[in-house]
Amino acid sequence: MIHEEFESIAALDAIGAATADEERRLREHLASCAGCRAAREEYGEAAALLARQVEPVAPPPDVRARILNAVDAGAGESASNVVELESRRRSNAWWLATAATLFLALWGWREIGIRVAREKVRSQEAEIAQLRGQTDVLNQQKEKLTAAMSAMASAGTRTISLAGAQASPEASARVFLDPEKRRAFVFFSNLPANAADKSYQLWIIRADQPQPQSAGVFDVAPNGNASVTVENLPVATEMKALAVTLEPKGGVEQPTNTNFFVMGNT
Amino acid sequence: MNDTMETPALLPAIARGDLVAFEALYDRYSSTLYALLLRILSNAEDAQEVLQETFVKAWASAKMFDAVRGSEAAWLISIARSRGIDKLRSRKIRVDRENDAGREISIQSSFVDKKTGADSAIQSEERTAVRNALAELPEPQRVALELAYFEGLSQSEIAERLGEPLGTVKTRMQLGMKKLRERLRAFQP
Repeated sequence: MIHEEFESIAALDAIGAATADEERRLREHLASCAGCRAAREEYGEAAALLARQVEPVAPPPDVRARILNAVDAGAGESASNVVELESRRRSNAWWLATAATLFLALWGWREIGIRVAREKVRSQEAEIAQLRGQTDVLNQQKEKLTAAMSAMASAGTRTISLAGAQASPEASARVFLDPEKRRAFVFFSNLPANAADKSYQLWIIRADQPQPQSAGVFDVAPNGNASVTVENLPVATEMKALAVTLEPKGGVEQPTNTNFFVMGNT
Repeated sequence: MNDTMETPALLPAIARGDLVAFEALYDRYSSTLYALLLRILSNAEDAQEVLQETFVKAWASAKMFDAVRGSEAAWLISIARSRGIDKLRSRKIRVDRENDAGREISIQSSFVDKKTGADSAIQSEERTAVRNALAELPEPQRVALELAYFEGLSQSEIAERLGEPLGTVKTRMQLGMKKLRERLRAFQP
């Protein structure tokens, strides 16, 4: 997955709308990508704007007193612990000095051992995280394939062929539409690979609405193949056609052009 | 809002145990956070409880705050919002904004701060600018963002609520956030 896609996940994560899987993959990526980390932080600031639009409301005065008392009590407890420790420290100063000397002598040896062990643990943890990530990706692919095969085998599933349009006459797509689950699996072939600053976007043209609806954004591999799973489809009678356009990276609210790559009636 | 985005951070002093700085932090942000929690929870008692949790968490975790990574306001808002949504989910109540709108307004108006006028002209101006930025978003994008942010709905729950395909909702939220991020730069010094 490329940085732009992680930035898109970061946008959702900032408002708590990333899925658990997206959130996990984002956290793993952020650990090693300063650019995406900065983007996530900016999205965090942007999300705070949603709160800042709300007219401020002063809480009742007793809330302030309650909070300050709770925190003050905690701080006071810490301070009294410090005083008690200080008193003990003075009375035991002679043997503490001896212990400290011994400790420092041993500390050097132990520290080297601990650092080596920590480095080893870090390396193994990174390896485990990487393997877990790979396993998760494989599991997701397996689940996707199982769901797609199940849909293809279902008696209620409709198969629709989409033909290449003017922008890419040799392209095609097969749609496996499961009306009961309002879900579709779309497999594209022979589409030209998209540039890094562009995304393909699948549109649903509805009978009951003048504007097309986005059904997902996807990239095409150099071999020309891609697949998209569309969930929560409109009911079949509302869908008139499907079409694909090439749009700015990450997709747009409405198509910016009518240069269709693939199109067909449903 | 009781803060501006240029106000120096208090959290570093709080991390050193400075109670005076903590009081200043409360005075600076409590109205903003309480209003946010009322919006999320639509219940004054719950909002006060979560407000207390938020400030106690801020006191305990102040040393985790890194000014390079973001503003103090965004850090506190993030804690309050997250705890507010947790509370909302624990109550298993999804507030119906349309049905509850009257109640929400009455809660807010009963506590509006008359003491100081709550905010200076600068802060009021800043909030107006924020509202204008949000008003510039297409309605469907703004609605999707607010359902996620204030009601804690997942992508699929929002799609279900709006009767739109999941892909449409996801694209709307991403585009809305991109625009907000661009607008955010206009507020930064």
